[in-house]
Amino acid sequence: MTREEILQGLFDNTVLGKAPEVKNLTQTGLDAQVDPVDLLYQALLPALQEVGRRFEVGDFFVPEMLMSAKAMQGALVLLRPLLAAKGEKTVGKVVMGTVKGDVHDIGKNLCNIMLEGAGFEVVDLGVNTSPEKFVDAIQKHQPDIVGFSAFLTTTMPMFKVNIEALKKAGLRDKVKVMVGGAPVTAHYAELAGADAYCPDASTTARKAKELIGAAGAAPGGVLAEAVVAVETMMSKVQE
Amino acid sequence: MIATFAALLTPEQVERVHEASLEILETVGLLVRNERARECFARHGCPVDSETEIVKLPRAIVEEYRRAYPPKFTFHGRDPQYDRTLPDDAPVIVTASSAPNLLDPVTGEERRAYSDDIARIARLIHELPGYDVFSISTLAEDTPPGQYSITRLYPTVKNCLKPIRCSALNPEDADAILRLGALIAGSEDAYRAHPFFTHHYCPVVSPLAMDFDSTEMLMYFTEKGYPNFGSIVPNAGMSSPLTLLGTLAQGNAEFLAWSALQQMIRPGAPLVYSFLSTVADMRRGAYAPGGVECAMLSLGHAQMARFYNVPNGGYIGQTNAKINDAQSGYETGMGALAGLLGGMDMFNLGGLLDALMCFDFAKAVIDDEIALMLKRLKRGFEFGEEDFALDEIAETGPGGTFLDKPRTYELMKTTGFLPDIADRDPRIRWTSRGALDTQSRAMNKVRDILTRNYTSFLSPDVDAHIRAEWEGLVSGELTAPAGWEKAVEAAPAMA
Repeated sequence: MTREEILQGLFDNTVLGKAPEVKNLTQTGLDAQVDPVDLLYQALLPALQEVGRRFEVGDFFVPEMLMSAKAMQGALVLLRPLLAAKGEKTVGKVVMGTVKGDVHDIGKNLCNIMLEGAGFEVVDLGVNTSPEKFVDAIQKHQPDIVGFSAFLTTTMPMFKVNIEALKKAGLRDKVKVMVGGAPVTAHYAELAGADAYCPDASTTARKAKELIGAAGAAPGGVLAEAVVAVETMMSKVQE
Repeated sequence: MIATFAALLTPEQVERVHEASLEILETVGLLVRNERARECFARHGCPVDSETEIVKLPRAIVEEYRRAYPPKFTFHGRDPQYDRTLPDDAPVIVTASSAPNLLDPVTGEERRAYSDDIARIARLIHELPGYDVFSISTLAEDTPPGQYSITRLYPTVKNCLKPIRCSALNPEDADAILRLGALIAGSEDAYRAHPFFTHHYCPVVSPLAMDFDSTEMLMYFTEKGYPNFGSIVPNAGMSSPLTLLGTLAQGNAEFLAWSALQQMIRPGAPLVYSFLSTVADMRRGAYAPGGVECAMLSLGHAQMARFYNVPNGGYIGQTNAKINDAQSGYETGMGALAGLLGGMDMFNLGGLLDALMCFDFAKAVIDDEIALMLKRLKRGFEFGEEDFALDEIAETGPGGTFLDKPRTYELMKTTGFLPDIADRDPRIRWTSRGALDTQSRAMNKVRDILTRNYTSFLSPDVDAHIRAEWEGLVSGELTAPAGWEKAVEAAPAMA
């Protein structure tokens, strides 16, 4: 395959959300000595922008957005270590979990996909996650952000409990807290002491990037640009 | 009566759905996180994998329990005149419940709800004749620690005598509810003889997973012998397949599973096959109970319930509209009508906008009128010989008038349902009276009801006992919203 064919194929298949083809073409590109930065800028990112455009005009639905984000995820798995070796930092690390007493996780799982598609590394603790388990994970993985998800008004109070546990463990100022879930509001998030409220998966990726910036860590690099592209696309979902 | 219910499925298709549900339960099974529940399933012959927590239900076991469902369910009121039995009293109209937000009746702003809002809503539902059961419409932001259900129930019992449907968080919260019931009834035995709280939970997190706390509540109330039932809520495209049939079969399986557990614990416990099955809007992932597919799935579940000879019902006539506009009208109207003609017994219908997120006082009044229209429809044609009025037709003769006949005078308030909110004036009269839309007329009725003077439905003695039991209990008093003047004299009796 020529370089042009590889890049065009990568673009087309990312738009169409064909994950196996995207992964194969990414590998093909790397084997053909195409710069990983070019694979990102000249194929993957433009593809995400195109997906966003199609979503905005109502041509693409949520499942198609997800498929494209997942395909992008697959490419980033291959590219991330190479870009890191070149000195490009990953965007950040997020620990995610549904709070204790709650077993709903569709929303959280969508957020994970959007975050990974945006270049974050995600550690998913699953459902019914106790405050202790969150504390342990934060000590172990040292993430930039921790996300709490709750679907029930009766489990939302765990946000505050979790934050207290972080304070007790001396971790509160070492990590940013995002919260979300169907009954959660910005006001509730504020009262609980969270740093950000995420009403949906698309906002989660955008807010995560903002929180990283706010923490002072310079995102820099092409992966941060990938985040910008994904969040621009996702902000259209928001609208 | 309705002679024949509308049915979307043939009898053979109903049996096929049942078979598909049995297959799901036998081969896929459920993830049961509650250990006590797993032990119960195991004791009754279900294969249980303690590693994966998967319980499979062999068809013979499911069939044994579903053949023994009791065919009736009664909601008890504080006063037996308010008792309602399914299916005899269908359509039994229940408010839709547990919205986190409400629209402030004076400012129109969306905000969280408080216990004083619940007092107003309870009184409104008590006064509106279309409602049979009050399922507490909102949560209460001013709940003191450890008083989750008491905070919602206390303003309710002070202002409403109709049967109450509520949820409980955990055994401690459940104990408090039963204690409240006993204090009001006079003793635990008196309460048990006529329990006016019906306990509800969502026992399954679709697909096919039973969570800790809801399952604990199912077992708790069933073990103690108090009326309870659960609702299944699969959302096609998200937590069930994006086909109506797949969602129906999965939801039906989820019903068979939770009801089997209930019947294992207490054979013959009364129950309701309750549902809120929806199709997610794949454009933006919106939750869409206002969609016509919700009505279609409801009809499917209602048919399955008739096959099992068990009462049915659920959330129907819900809307995605944020205000009382045409969308709110047609989504509620079409859904509710489909449910009635399709043989639903219980309708969780009243008061919510925005896909169950927000309670609105005017919507509660509009839904009351819709409920009364449903009840009129269910009455059907009074079919006695005298209803043909052949004598009158003969007497009046060709070209005559019926306006002055005795029968017309006799039936003028009952043959036609006389709506309070729907306006039928000629345009010129409607204009002269302010050209009010439905929203305004409904809100005027809310204001009228909420600014009258009422007596609490708790005697001072019982009230004192309750307040002594729960320190820091909210006031539960009915007060008119700030900004509305209270009526000067006592309210006249409701017509």
